[in-house]
Amino acid sequence: MDFIAEGFVQAFRLLVSLDPETFSAILATLKVSSYSMAASLIVGVPLGFLLGYARFKGRKQIRLIVDTLLSLPTVFVGLVVYAFLSNRGPFGEWGLLFTLPGIAIGQAILALPIVIALTATAVESIDDHLRLTLISLGAGRKQLFLTSLWEVRYGVLAAAVTAYGRVMTEVGISMMVGGNIKWHTRTITTAIALETNKGLFGMGVALGLVLLFIAFFVNVSVSFLRKR
Amino acid sequence: MTAKNFIYQIKNLKHAYNGRPILDIADFSVERAGIVGLMGPNGSGKSTLLRFLGFIEKPAEGEIRYNGKIEYPFSNAVKSHVALLPQTPYLMKRSVSKNIAYGLVINKKLSDRRIRERVHEALDMVGLDVKAFAGRQWSELSGGEAQRAALAARLALKPDVLLLDEPTASVDAASIQRIKDASIQARHEWGTTIIIASHDRQWLLDICDQAVHLFNGRIFDSAYENILFGPWYPENNGRWKKKTADLQSIIVSRPPHSSAAAVLDPRRVSLHPLSRPVRTDHHCMTGLISQLTLEKNNNNVLVSVQIGNLYLTACASDSPADSPLLFPGQNIKLSYHPDSVHWI
Repeated sequence: MDFIAEGFVQAFRLLVSLDPETFSAILATLKVSSYSMAASLIVGVPLGFLLGYARFKGRKQIRLIVDTLLSLPTVFVGLVVYAFLSNRGPFGEWGLLFTLPGIAIGQAILALPIVIALTATAVESIDDHLRLTLISLGAGRKQLFLTSLWEVRYGVLAAAVTAYGRVMTEVGISMMVGGNIKWHTRTITTAIALETNKGLFGMGVALGLVLLFIAFFVNVSVSFLRKR
Repeated sequence: MTAKNFIYQIKNLKHAYNGRPILDIADFSVERAGIVGLMGPNGSGKSTLLRFLGFIEKPAEGEIRYNGKIEYPFSNAVKSHVALLPQTPYLMKRSVSKNIAYGLVINKKLSDRRIRERVHEALDMVGLDVKAFAGRQWSELSGGEAQRAALAARLALKPDVLLLDEPTASVDAASIQRIKDASIQARHEWGTTIIIASHDRQWLLDICDQAVHLFNGRIFDSAYENILFGPWYPENNGRWKKKTADLQSIIVSRPPHSSAAAVLDPRRVSLHPLSRPVRTDHHCMTGLISQLTLEKNNNNVLVSVQIGNLYLTACASDSPADSPLLFPGQNIKLSYHPDSVHWI
């Protein structure tokens, strides 16, 4: 059991000494998760709003598909994105395989159903009288969308936080699409997997603690936003 | 009256939900700057009609002309000119003043100072103290205060039309009076046309220039008509009847079907002291006077008589010789000819 305690001690040492390899993985993780979250929110929030707000034929079926995709396995997303981005794939010429944007594409696909489904759920909870009230006060279609979205902002925020948690902690996509290249595409989770395989628990525990710290920071920020 | 005097003109409006007809109005106009009351039982189509008049939704068939032109939801002619206050007020998750300012901020090109003034004016109109309420959050208001704040949000726009759906349904007496005063002030100061749907007959008749009855989606010109609901059971003499809770009978002519509804004009209902005999061809019932109402347009006195669980309205005769002395709580005879009911 000593190796676990040693791991915590080493984690502390790595973080305090600003170990370059550790911070390279942290930076890669923050970069890739920021790209993927930005993409999934830009696409997912309007789609989630539409799915929760509009009444159209086939809505229930689409909702069922989106809900099913909530349990999308990360290795399967990694496999599909790898197939599309590899030299033999349709987008091979873009040269995105084993790059951070390549990982971000996979992670965005992973986050998208979460953002869409949870935004749709938040929008479905909008009081029917909100639409009537906004139109009565002279809102146009754009204002109707923006104000309704603002009314469910905590629900959308919860969707973003949940998706961020999934993106930050996934291994399959980062490993398959990124290739776990040191100083380049190695993220926190792929580094943990590698270091654990090598028996270097200190580095693994240090990176695990960093992940927890980032999650804590995100939740504190969200909690602050909710209070405003 | 020319078309220019009407702010709304409805023609051949028809609407149904899931195949069930909700509204069927062949022709109905609303005079500019008037106060119109819509009365009718639950499900009669009052709220749906208000949503169409507020251009929240479009009817399946027919046209609604607003200021002589056919208008639709989101058109510039109706945006922020027509304001609907729903039965259950909705306040956005922000402070009272921001709720009231919303319509002004998105539509009117007013300075912040002017917006603040308009918000304060609107709060004054509905009797909410500016200092106490402007900064409060939406969740810190009682039902009556929320209703008044929601009304203030509409009044801040100085709308041409104000549509009120059951504004007194769940508020206290003080709020009812404030809502009434604010509506009258809006009409007086800005020439706002006001259409109110309400079950509160006395309140409605008190405030409105014109009141109409809505039943099964159709409009009847007067709000004072009695609506008699089935089921009806045949009698041996060709008449049909229904028992009231105190086991008296309502006798009517042959209905089109056993659950049909009928209208009985209050002017066809006579009142008699208990000791006086009633014409033999009339059907007579006894009841308790529950309310006296003065009809605004012609100064007729309308007498509501409670007969078991049924309320019938009679129009007190102009002739003093025929009129008994009327006061609430008095037992009285009421009669009408069974053929005078009109099936709808």
